[in-house]
Amino acid sequence: MAIRMKTSSGQDTAPTHGDTVVQRIASAVPGWVWWLAGIVIAAGFPLLNVIGVVETAWLRVGVVSLIFVLLSLGLNIVMGETGLLNLGYIAFFAFGAYTTALLSSPKFEIRWPFLAVIVVSTLVAMVAGFLISLPTLRLRGDYLAIVTLAFGEIVRLTIINLVPLTNGPNGITGIYSPRLFAGAKPALEGIEAWFIIDKPLEYYYLVLVCVVVLAVLLTNLKNSRIGRAWNALREDELAAISSGITAVRAKMLSVVLSAGIAGFAGSLFAYYSNVISPESFLFMQSVIVVCMVVLGGMGSIPGVMLGAVVLQALPQLIREAAGAARSDFEVYRMLIYGILIVVMVIFRPEGLLPDKIFKREAHEVDPRELEMTRQSLFDLEEGEKDLGV
Amino acid sequence: MSFDHIMSVTIGGLTVGMIYALIALGYTMVYGVLKFINFAHGEVFTVGGYVAAFSLLAMGIDASTPWLKVAGAIALALVAAVTVPMALGLLIERIAYRPLRGRSRIIPLLSAIGVSIVLQQLIIIVFGPKPVTIPTLALSSASVNLFGVDVRVLALVIIAVSAALMVGLTYLVKSTRIGKAMRATSQDMEAAEMMGIDTNRTIAFTFLVGSALAGIGGLLVVMYYGSLKYDAGFLYGLKAFTSAVLGGIGNIPGAVVGAIVLGMTETYGVSVDLGFLAWFVLAGLALGIYVQMVRVPNRRLAHIAADRRTPEYERSIMNVYRLAPYHGIKTLLAERTDALLSVSAADAVRLMAGNIFLAVLATIMFINSSVRIDTRWQPVIAFVVLMVILMFRPSGILGEAVTEKV
Repeated sequence: MAIRMKTSSGQDTAPTHGDTVVQRIASAVPGWVWWLAGIVIAAGFPLLNVIGVVETAWLRVGVVSLIFVLLSLGLNIVMGETGLLNLGYIAFFAFGAYTTALLSSPKFEIRWPFLAVIVVSTLVAMVAGFLISLPTLRLRGDYLAIVTLAFGEIVRLTIINLVPLTNGPNGITGIYSPRLFAGAKPALEGIEAWFIIDKPLEYYYLVLVCVVVLAVLLTNLKNSRIGRAWNALREDELAAISSGITAVRAKMLSVVLSAGIAGFAGSLFAYYSNVISPESFLFMQSVIVVCMVVLGGMGSIPGVMLGAVVLQALPQLIREAAGAARSDFEVYRMLIYGILIVVMVIFRPEGLLPDKIFKREAHEVDPRELEMTRQSLFDLEEGEKDLGV
Repeated sequence: MSFDHIMSVTIGGLTVGMIYALIALGYTMVYGVLKFINFAHGEVFTVGGYVAAFSLLAMGIDASTPWLKVAGAIALALVAAVTVPMALGLLIERIAYRPLRGRSRIIPLLSAIGVSIVLQQLIIIVFGPKPVTIPTLALSSASVNLFGVDVRVLALVIIAVSAALMVGLTYLVKSTRIGKAMRATSQDMEAAEMMGIDTNRTIAFTFLVGSALAGIGGLLVVMYYGSLKYDAGFLYGLKAFTSAVLGGIGNIPGAVVGAIVLGMTETYGVSVDLGFLAWFVLAGLALGIYVQMVRVPNRRLAHIAADRRTPEYERSIMNVYRLAPYHGIKTLLAERTDALLSVSAADAVRLMAGNIFLAVLATIMFINSSVRIDTRWQPVIAFVVLMVILMFRPSGILGEAVTEKV
C-alpha cells in the first residue's frame, strides 16, 4: 500500500532544492490520490487470487500483513506520535487474542457474538494499558521501555504458567469463526453461511475495512488537538507542559488507545488463526512491530502501514524466491530485521515515508528548513531587512 | 526450615547474584557514561560463554583429563572468553552507538535492540541453535564441606573471582588515570573534552572493561551449569539490568548490591516455603510503616515556611499521615485549599495502600505457609522486581550516580 501524503496539515509546500525528479512528480500529486491508489491496490489484490493468478497462501500473507498494519498503527501512536518506546506491545495483542479465545471457543463452551467479543477484547486490552500506564508514565523514556518489556514478558510467562485458563504452552484451539449479524435470519440455512467469515478472502476484506477506518480516524486524531499535544510532548516535554498540556493524561490516553488497537488486532488475529499459543507473543514479535514503525517512519501513518506490509510480505517473497527451509530462513529474517533497525536509525531515522515534523527533529539542522525559516522571517519583516535578521 | 537448606540456598543465591553482578557492571558503567541502556550487553555475555565452551570443547577436555591440563585449558578459554567479547564490544560501540551520540534517548536504545537481535541470530548461524554443552569436569562436580553443608567448589570460585574483579574494578575507576577520565566523561562530556580527555577513547575503554567482565561471566556460567543456550543472554541481560537499576544505575557498588539482592530474592523465592518468606514481607511492612509514620512526614514538615509553622498545622500534617484511612482520605476528598496538605494526603493514602497490600500479602503467605512457589515462576520474579523498583524507587537502593545535564 504505497500511500504518500504530502503534509499532514494539508498546507502546500513547493518542491525544495535537492529533490529528485521522481520526488517532485510525487509531491505534485495530491495526497488523496495516493490514498485512493493504496486502497485500490489493497482491495484489488485478492481479485488476483480469485482469477487464479496468485495462490491462496499469498492471501493469507495479506491478512496477516493487514493485522500487523493495525498493530503498527497502534504502536505508532505511542512510539511515533508520543515518543514513548513500548517494548511489550505484543502483550496487549495477547490480551485481545486470549480474551477472544476464551469468549469464543470450546474451551469454556462459550460463543459470544462477534461484535461483543471484539469490543470486550479491545476493552480488556485498554484496561491493561491503563493499569500499566498508571504507575509507569512518570518514568523517563528508556526506563519506560524496559518496564514495558518486563510487562510483556510477565504477561507471556503468566500465559504459559496459567494452565487452567490458557492451556499453557499448548494454547487454545478451535476458536469459532465470527458470525456477522448472527441469528438475524436463523430460519434460512443457506443464507446463514453467508454471514460466517471463515475464508481468507472474507477475513482479508474484514481486516482491510478495519485498517482503512482506523487509518482515517488516526489521521484525523493526529491533526487534532490531542495529536498535536502528543507531538509536542515528544519533541519537548518541558515546553509542552509549560504550554498547558497535562503530560500524564495525554500520555495515558496514547498508551490506552494504542493498547486498545492492539487488543482489537489481537481479537481479529485469534479469529483468523483459529489457534493461539504463547508462541505468537514473544518479545521478538514486539521488536518486529517496532521495526515496522521505524522502517516506515515514526509518526507517519502511511509510513508505518507501508513498513508493516513490507516487513510482513517481503520475507514471504524471499522465502519463495530462495526456496530456503523455513527454520533456516527465520534466522536470516531476524538478522535482516536487526541490521535494518541499526541502519535505519543511523542513516534514515525518519523512515521510508517520513512524517514532516519527525524528519525535522531527526536532522537537527536541516539547511533547507533553515533557509525557509529565514525566508519567512524576511517576508514578515520586509522593512527590517537591513538589520540582517 | 533446616539450617542446611537455608545455607545452601544462600550460597546458591550468592553465586547467581555474583554472575548477575559481573554482567550488571557493564550496564551500569555504560549507563553512567553514555546515559543509555546497552541492550546488546546480554548477547556479549552469551558470546563470551559460547567462545569459552567451544574452546574447551576444541581442546578435548573431559572428566579424565589431568588437572594441570584442565587448568591450562580453562586459562586459554578465559583468554578467548575475554578477548572476543572485548573486540565485539569495541565494534558495537564504533558501528552502532558512536554515530548516535547526542540523539534523544530512545534512538540509541533502538539501535542497541537491533544489535542485540543481530548478535543473537549470528550466534545461531555460527554455533547452531542447539545449546552448547561441555563435558563434566572434576572441578565442576567437586564440593567441599562448609559448616556441615556440601557446597560446590565452583560456587565458591565464582564468588571469589567476582569479588576480586569488583575490587579491581573499583580500584580502576577510583584510583587510576583512565578511571578518573571515565568519571569525568560521565559527569560532563564536553567539559571533560575541554580538559584534554579523549572521550571517545574513554568510552571505548568503558565498553572494553564491561565486555571483558561479561565474557568472564559467560565462562563462569558455562562451567557452573555445563550448558548455555543462544538466547540465554536476553534473560541474563535483563536480570543484570534489573540488578543495576535495583542498586542505582551508574553506581558500581550499587550494581553488586542489587545483583546480590536479586539473586537472593530469586533463589529464596522458589526454594523456601511461603511461611518463611512472609517474615521478609513483614520486615518490609515494618519499614513501610516507618516510612509512612516517621520519615515522609518529617520530610514534609521541613518544607513548611517558618511563619506558618504552628503546632496545629504540624499536627494536622502528622494526622494525615498517621491516620491516613480517616484524615488522609478526608483531606483528599475535601476542597484543596492547602497545597502541602493535599500533597501529603495523596502521599499518605498511597503509602497506606502499599502497607495494606504488604499486610494482606503477609497474611496470605502465613495462611499458606507450607506452600512453595513453583520453579516455573522463577523468571517472573526478576521482572516483577524490575517493575516494582522502577515504579516505586527508580533511583535504586544506593541511589543513582548519573549526572543529568538539563
